[in-house]
Amino acid sequence: MTGEAPAPPERVSLLDRVRAVSASHRSVSSIVTMAIVTAVLPLAALVPPFSSFNPQSVWVNSFADAGVFVLLALGLNIVVGLAGLLDLGYAAFFAIGAYTYAYGASPFSGNDFPFWIMLLVGALVAATFGLLLGAPTLRLRGDYLAIVTLGFGEIVPTVFLNADKYTKGTNGISGVYAPGLLNLHFQSTNPWPFYLTMAAIVTVAIIAIFRLQDSRLGRAWMAIREDELAAASNGVNTVSTKLLAFALGASTAGLGGVFVAAKLSFVSPDQFGFTVSFTVLAMVVLGGMGNIWGVGIGAFIVFIIQTVILKELNAALAGTPLAFIDFLQYQYLLYGLALVAMMLLRPEGLFPSARRRRELHVAEETEGEPAPAGAMGGIEP
Amino acid sequence: MQMQRSIRLPSRVRRGPYQLVGAVAICLVAAYILVGAQQFSNFLTVGAIYALIALGYTMVYGIIELINFAHGDVFGMGAFVALWLLTVAGFHGAIDNPLVLAVVLVALFLLTMGIMGLVGMVIERVAYRPLRNAPRLAPLITAIGVSFILENIMQAFFGPSPVTSPQIFDLNARFNVAGASIGYLNVFIVLVAVALMIALQVFVGRTRLGRAMRSTAQDREAAQLMGVNIDQTIAITFFIGSALAGAGGIVWALYFGYALFNQGFYAGLFAFTAAVLGGIGNTTGAALGGFFIGFLYVAAAQYGYFRWFEVLVFGVLVLVLVFRPSGLLGQQLGERA
Amino acid sequence: MQSRTITALAAAVVLTAGACSSSATTAPAGGSSAPAASTGAGSSTAVGGKSVTIGVDLPLSGGEFANGDPTKKGIELAVNQANQKGGVAGYKIVLSIKDDAVNGVHNPQQGATNIQGFVADPTVIGVVGPFNSNVGAAEIPVSNRAGLLQCSPANTNPGLTKPQYGALSIRSAYPNRINYIRVATTDDIQGLAGAEFAYNDLGKRRAYVVDDTETYGKGLADVFVTQFKALGGTVIKQDGAPSSTTDYTPLLTAVQGQNPDVVYFGGVTATGGGLLRKQMAQVGMGNIAFGGGDGIVDGPGNVQGSFIKVAGSAAANSFGTVAATHDIPNASAFSDAYKAAYGAAPGAYSASAYACTQVILQSLQAVAGSASGSGLREAVRAYATDSSHSFTTQLGTISFDQNGDTTQHIISFYKTDMSAAGGVGDWVFVRQQDFGGAGSSGASAAPGASSAASPAASQ
Repeated sequence: MTGEAPAPPERVSLLDRVRAVSASHRSVSSIVTMAIVTAVLPLAALVPPFSSFNPQSVWVNSFADAGVFVLLALGLNIVVGLAGLLDLGYAAFFAIGAYTYAYGASPFSGNDFPFWIMLLVGALVAATFGLLLGAPTLRLRGDYLAIVTLGFGEIVPTVFLNADKYTKGTNGISGVYAPGLLNLHFQSTNPWPFYLTMAAIVTVAIIAIFRLQDSRLGRAWMAIREDELAAASNGVNTVSTKLLAFALGASTAGLGGVFVAAKLSFVSPDQFGFTVSFTVLAMVVLGGMGNIWGVGIGAFIVFIIQTVILKELNAALAGTPLAFIDFLQYQYLLYGLALVAMMLLRPEGLFPSARRRRELHVAEETEGEPAPAGAMGGIEP
Repeated sequence: MQMQRSIRLPSRVRRGPYQLVGAVAICLVAAYILVGAQQFSNFLTVGAIYALIALGYTMVYGIIELINFAHGDVFGMGAFVALWLLTVAGFHGAIDNPLVLAVVLVALFLLTMGIMGLVGMVIERVAYRPLRNAPRLAPLITAIGVSFILENIMQAFFGPSPVTSPQIFDLNARFNVAGASIGYLNVFIVLVAVALMIALQVFVGRTRLGRAMRSTAQDREAAQLMGVNIDQTIAITFFIGSALAGAGGIVWALYFGYALFNQGFYAGLFAFTAAVLGGIGNTTGAALGGFFIGFLYVAAAQYGYFRWFEVLVFGVLVLVLVFRPSGLLGQQLGERA
Repeated sequence: MQSRTITALAAAVVLTAGACSSSATTAPAGGSSAPAASTGAGSSTAVGGKSVTIGVDLPLSGGEFANGDPTKKGIELAVNQANQKGGVAGYKIVLSIKDDAVNGVHNPQQGATNIQGFVADPTVIGVVGPFNSNVGAAEIPVSNRAGLLQCSPANTNPGLTKPQYGALSIRSAYPNRINYIRVATTDDIQGLAGAEFAYNDLGKRRAYVVDDTETYGKGLADVFVTQFKALGGTVIKQDGAPSSTTDYTPLLTAVQGQNPDVVYFGGVTATGGGLLRKQMAQVGMGNIAFGGGDGIVDGPGNVQGSFIKVAGSAAANSFGTVAATHDIPNASAFSDAYKAAYGAAPGAYSASAYACTQVILQSLQAVAGSASGSGLREAVRAYATDSSHSFTTQLGTISFDQNGDTTQHIISFYKTDMSAAGGVGDWVFVRQQDFGGAGSSGASAAPGASSAASPAASQ
């Protein structure tokens, strides 16, 4: 099934040309890059040391799961990275997407709508909730918005948990139908169709987000991020612009949710806790806020660290002098240290966007940060 | 206190103390009527604990605009330090002699608050100070990292199961008033919280360091030009905030006799909500927010909606912020600062 | 700039680099001379001597470590003992241990990935796990399609096995090829037993019920409520208090005036059982009986984190149900061996995990003569799930019914005795009763059944 992606060696020789066209043909270059990545990743899994962790099929399964988080990070990047709105409850939209699919195609609801239609429906439903949350709250400044979204992120899974009549509560909805394409029924033991589907979704998302970023809307987002007042006085409708960022970010999470529900064939409230929101935020910041490729790579790295590398440390270090330590127990510690170390070494993220790099440079020259849009410090008794 | 307030404060607050006291009194009476005497004492106890944690949140936010997600775990660690000190000191059950109890409690508070204050300073030095001029979200991520690190340290030292604390304060010492049976410990907790809050008000409002803090919070550069040592001031803010979280931890250990390595996170979440409800950066607001959440907690239990407590808290938060975008006592600055 | 990128990337890669040595499989700690046979990627059989792998999928990090670790040790103990006797039917047993917690919380997605790993490893003949029912719901579709035996020591949610609760949609690939078995009795039986004990043995009529909103606790509490009402009792109120709750006094104060005579808790000690009991005494409800499932019957008062330790003297007058016979042969031998190996008392599910491992090993013993190599996995699955076979385990002699549930429906009742265990307090045996078939036939009475929307019609 790898056949449909171009073989890597040919492409490497074309790299310069690809780079040259990429500025004017971003969609094409995105497709080509994603095709290369999609082809190379499964091959990399066959090469030591990666091949010693897991067999290829398990790696491909992990890559498909990682794709979900890449998608989430791309979506959150619209909200946080482009529009500058801090969202700490992003997992809520992920949950809404997943439950939408569970209602759309499971024995629990009795419906069996096709996965591909439900992808759109899930994105739409999540976007609707994004608008519902955003409309009353987007006028809040800076971190007040953060805590409201954090609250929303807690409310949504709690509602799914407690409204057991409609959601089967803590037991979750099981037996959610797998996707199918023509005569191919996706099977839980074969990760390839899921992987390729995810790669396609991510590719479409990347192209769409690039286009958005370069559009009038994208410029409006960045204007709001830099200075909301100035943006407003230059004729940007800040309310609808921010709402659109929220809705588009939410719809991306909705896509991820539909995919996860279909792949796992199961949804339950405890899959969408605040740790998911925080993890995705860490992915965005680590990757380099505002940089679409950077965010994607950051998400991929964090996901693989969390779900593969930390899990295999025990096995990998067996036989070394460190083998007496149960590394599984110290995953929190190692993950926490990795977050702190990476942030200290590279506060602007691994791959800061060009624009951000310029901003930081200017900020350094003027000896101090420009006042952030949400500045509201002050201590009062 | 008044004359040291910044001129940015709207007149509403400057007229304030009497209005505020009146409003609080009315709320308390309403709360009493709604839930009854026994639950009223429960609500004050829960509220006092949330308020203590919220104070640290609000101070840190006020001075460096950082949502310090590690703060909840500093509180959690405070509970462990307190129970560890008591265990090491060889206490088992309740101390009957009030004098001895008083001495032990004073020592416990001084030690635990001191240790947690230092922990807070170290965290600031290592994880936040290097990022002071970094993009705003960078320290937020290190805060999440520090939170994980603290939890794993507690788990490594104390294990993943609940750890019990010696309860030096007799839980069953109670008195009856207005048809309610109230523990002396509940009274003690509320008194400690209120005393610490008043001490903090005085410190922030009347001392030189407090003034340095407020000026740093308002305009770091200007404060620096006026000779305020910014690093030191921020470090002290962390010390005080973390020491207050430590006090919350002690109270927790005394009251529940129990600590779990990851308990701090949720408590911290609600405390942060309390700080935002009250108007972030405003210490009085944080305290009131803490008590308000304590009230919601008790009311949800009383009326059979405890399952929905979290939804209730965050729902109320959204409502409050929609109508007062800067919290109950926050600076009402309209859409833009 | 460039160099800083590299340094930062290095920080990320440090972990990768550390993990770059070999093997995905470890021999259990202290596993005699068992070679750390690599069974992960390519290699299949160990050099010199045959070996097979048992997969372990449990939550082993963060807050879940307290659940997963003693359970894992139960499996390790069984495997070590088998290996010390020279293995099973000539096979050396190797464990492959995987953690299904991410960020300290059990994670269905991670569980499904782990199972994929076991499926892809041809030496894995069976899996012990998972611990959480939610993880099970995501894993069974995978293992069912692949025909890999899974034995859960702790899952109690009826929906994982029983068709009337929707299990057919979980094992939709091969609904009649059972591959998931469990030694834990389902919630519907334990909740029923708790209700009968409270109503009949203790003569209680007015119950107040609290659950921890999690799968095990909520399921248990819901069944208790239904059954207690069916017996003629009154349930004053059922509250849900998430595991982060530590202050139960407002909940207790709210029902105090309505004179409950028994408080039932669905959950485990770590999600609030001990604190709830302790605070009952604090608000003057210490004389009211308290009960729960096996989640609170977790050892004497000198075990850190146990119900009796957390509740202290308030633990008196409590009862608990355990889904196992009390008079298990060699019960003390197990806990002695466990203590000798790990220096601590067994956890709530150590013995169940030990039993699961025994089932897999005994199946291997039985089929080793007729199957080998790639045929072993299917042979073990077929043997273990055949309801005509029975297994001698730590939980007694058990076999599995047509859905994979244990046919052992004996519930033992325990009460706290604060003078037992040398004065620190312990659970003492009261009586035991066989609830054979009660749970599986009583589906219509169990809550949640109505919402399980005609699963049989699916796919």
